[in-house]
Amino acid sequence: MSIDSLMNQDIKTRCNEAYEKVVAYQDKLNATITAIDPKDIDYDKLEGKLKGIPVALKDNVSTKGIKTTAASRILDNYYPVYDATIVEKLRKEGAVFVAKASMDELAMGGSNLTSMIGPCHNPYDLNRISGGSSGGSAVLVASGAVSVAIGSDTGDSVRKPAGYCGVVGVKPTYGRISRYGIIPYASSLDHVGYFTRNIKDASLVLEVLAGRDDHDMTSSFEKVDEYSKLLNSNVEGKKILVFDNVVENIREDIIINSFNNVIKGLEEKGAVIKHVRFDDKLMKALFPTYFIIANAEATANHSNLDGIRFGHRVDGNTMEEIMINTRTRGFSSFIKQRFVVGSYSLFEENQERLLKKAQRVRRLIVDEVMKELKDADCLIAPASGNVAPLIKGNKSDELAPEYLIAENHLVIGNFGGLPSLTQPMGFKDNLPFGVNITCNPFKEADMFNIALAIEEITGLKDLVKEDF
Amino acid sequence: MEIKEIKELANRIMFDVNEEEAQNIINDFETFEKQLAILNEIDTDGVEEMIYPFDTPTSFLRKDEVSHVIDKEDALKNASKTKEGHIVVPKVVK
Repeated sequence: MSIDSLMNQDIKTRCNEAYEKVVAYQDKLNATITAIDPKDIDYDKLEGKLKGIPVALKDNVSTKGIKTTAASRILDNYYPVYDATIVEKLRKEGAVFVAKASMDELAMGGSNLTSMIGPCHNPYDLNRISGGSSGGSAVLVASGAVSVAIGSDTGDSVRKPAGYCGVVGVKPTYGRISRYGIIPYASSLDHVGYFTRNIKDASLVLEVLAGRDDHDMTSSFEKVDEYSKLLNSNVEGKKILVFDNVVENIREDIIINSFNNVIKGLEEKGAVIKHVRFDDKLMKALFPTYFIIANAEATANHSNLDGIRFGHRVDGNTMEEIMINTRTRGFSSFIKQRFVVGSYSLFEENQERLLKKAQRVRRLIVDEVMKELKDADCLIAPASGNVAPLIKGNKSDELAPEYLIAENHLVIGNFGGLPSLTQPMGFKDNLPFGVNITCNPFKEADMFNIALAIEEITGLKDLVKEDF
Repeated sequence: MEIKEIKELANRIMFDVNEEEAQNIINDFETFEKQLAILNEIDTDGVEEMIYPFDTPTSFLRKDEVSHVIDKEDALKNASKTKEGHIVVPKVVK
């Protein structure tokens, strides 16, 4: 259901129904860490663009007095004493929070298999992953529990699960939405993002979330447009770049055919299509570049998780013992592995060879893409090479170009801070897959317009999968 | 890399890994090193590191007014052990 159609329902009824769905679906989907009963909401006092709209928050969004765990055991008793800026903004516009959604532990993953509560299940096939790290948020929207959910996106953590779950996933420009109160992963790559079921809702939600915040020095002073009012699907003369490196590395004919239909539709609507092929060596370097930078920044960011001031403390005879015991018990094996790699890259003797090398390659990648994108309106590609993998599926070949390019190209949006969005494109065996567009910084209005044109071409919007 | 080395790396960032975890990390490092070879094929001579996406200056002067204060009770709310307004930790000086 869209925000518009929800607005026609009784406020209390829709909020209670959303909460009841969050609770009822937990058994099968495992998408929620904390359900928030809206019983104490004073509905008469709600005003704003999201008046009485039920919203789910990823569990790395600080909520005063509501447990916020980032899906990690080390924070399983943490109750923030302040709200994230986006929580204040959403509340000011009348949103009602009904869930803290599951996620990969500390947002470090792409599967939602590493949450402390276990895997989140895809409503289209419970044996498949939701994608991650914002998997719980994606699933709560896809299953019809809520129409809006907040996520965060460091590599593709909103846009990849959006594709796997048949919903819209938006990551705007770096600095467009304040990150104050979001438990960080990698500060130079982290973005707040969100999920909706259609482009119109996506444009409205950004109006609510965007804007300068003095509590986040990386947030932008750039003016916030009224995206929902500017929304139109006129793409006449828009220059659209087809990302050939990605397309060439996708083996699923049905995805390629759907993608070609989208391109044909855009061309018929008057868009100017140009095929681009970036340096293959740089494209194969996307994942290792991300892996080094993200893990190095995460290791530093999470050094404050020691059980002393907050979080689950495990006793010891000395401060050092407390920290070691707390972190040993508090982190999963997966997170420990990421931290070891991150720490290894940060050692003085390795910095030149690893971290600085990755940061230089990051610049080359962004320069390579911007060389074309700066004179165009968007870069377009299938969001991934296939539908959601099986939870018990085999690990991908992490050295194959299918993995390095087709499964990891969305990280370009994080490297360059570019606005980027995934929306439904088609189905393979009743499982959704998505298309992604990436635009120039602060050109979200253009991004939504192109996305609306794509929505008209595919006819895929307001998808809900309730019979799981 | 050997298990002992991985355990030392883990201890430097304040946690322990068991034998199985250390072995998995060694396996991951093998893939990681192969991916690094891809990076090393790229000439980065003279390229400045990219630390943040934009170089947009966001410095500003705020008014010299107290704002956004967390009171002591709130600040201690999440600490496991507190006493008389302080967080309790084991004796450091013995």
